[in-house]
Amino acid sequence: MDDGLAAGDDDGLTADLDNLIPALTPLLWNVARAAGLSREDAEDAVQTAWTSLISHLDTIRTPGALKAWLITTTQREAWRVAAVARRQQPADHEWLMTIPDPLGGADERALEAEEQRALWRALRTLSPRCQQLLRIVAFVPRPDYDLVADWLGMSRGSVGPTRGRCLDKLRLALRAEGGSQ
Amino acid sequence: MTSDGAQAGHGGLLARLRELFESADPVPDGLVERIRFSVALASMEAELAHLTDAEGELVRGAPEESRTITFDSSSLTIMIRIDSNADGSARVDGWLAPPQPRQVEIALADGSITTDADEQGRFAFASVPRGTARLVVRPPQPGSGRSSPGPFGMNTVLTPTLVLLAGA
Repeated sequence: MDDGLAAGDDDGLTADLDNLIPALTPLLWNVARAAGLSREDAEDAVQTAWTSLISHLDTIRTPGALKAWLITTTQREAWRVAAVARRQQPADHEWLMTIPDPLGGADERALEAEEQRALWRALRTLSPRCQQLLRIVAFVPRPDYDLVADWLGMSRGSVGPTRGRCLDKLRLALRAEGGSQ
Repeated sequence: MTSDGAQAGHGGLLARLRELFESADPVPDGLVERIRFSVALASMEAELAHLTDAEGELVRGAPEESRTITFDSSSLTIMIRIDSNADGSARVDGWLAPPQPRQVEIALADGSITTDADEQGRFAFASVPRGTARLVVRPPQPGSGRSSPGPFGMNTVLTPTLVLLAGA
């Protein structure tokens, strides 16, 4: 599963950490947030996953394995932190509660913000399952869907089709919004 | 209302979702830099070696003659012998136990000298300027031609700072 991020040997992976960190952190951030962690806890979980990686690098052979390892570790760390904090709230996505207002008064920004709000309202009408899945696949290239299947509690090969159904529902909801679509 | 999104396929909608998440719940400023920093620290995993045995005095002004010093860390014992060269510099011979090839650096007040320990764990610095110094024992350099367990199988070991005394 070549994503072009790193060479296959250990030395290559090690040398590429400087590039991998900015490339993969957004995905891991969204994994932690979609698991229900606060921003602060999500930051800790992502950081912990990366530092734990260092002592496991000798067991990881491919970029795909590395990505899967990071996703799984971030998720486990997120569960652990959530259990400790006793604030795991899978049905209540804090991350969807607020959409920032446009910063300036520029029309373009305002239109953009309105489109985002419409998208957000449409997203909120979907099942939590779809919301979570869409949040993750938005940050994962299609060839890597199997890497997040376990994490999403789905069988391999089913992420793509489920994604399609969730997007269809989202599109319908957007149309019902009558907004920016 | 028309927009590009109306014509775009699933990919377009996904891209818009990504933008939504990125603007509504962005990765915190500086997180990538903080991760780079902690990864760099974790990569070093430096062990501090402790002075366990010193033959001869380590204080400035002691009579300068051959002396032996032993340091212990959790993974490595480092023994060094310091001799005087005719030109006033110091010669440092060392042994690592268990024996293993490593990169050994002697860090001085202004710069450093690097050498390799051989398979028997032996290393030598023929001429070291007098002054403060500490040893940094690193995993062997990749590409040095030796088989090695990889850069993360071993820890970097640091000794306390020594004073290589001026000749008496």
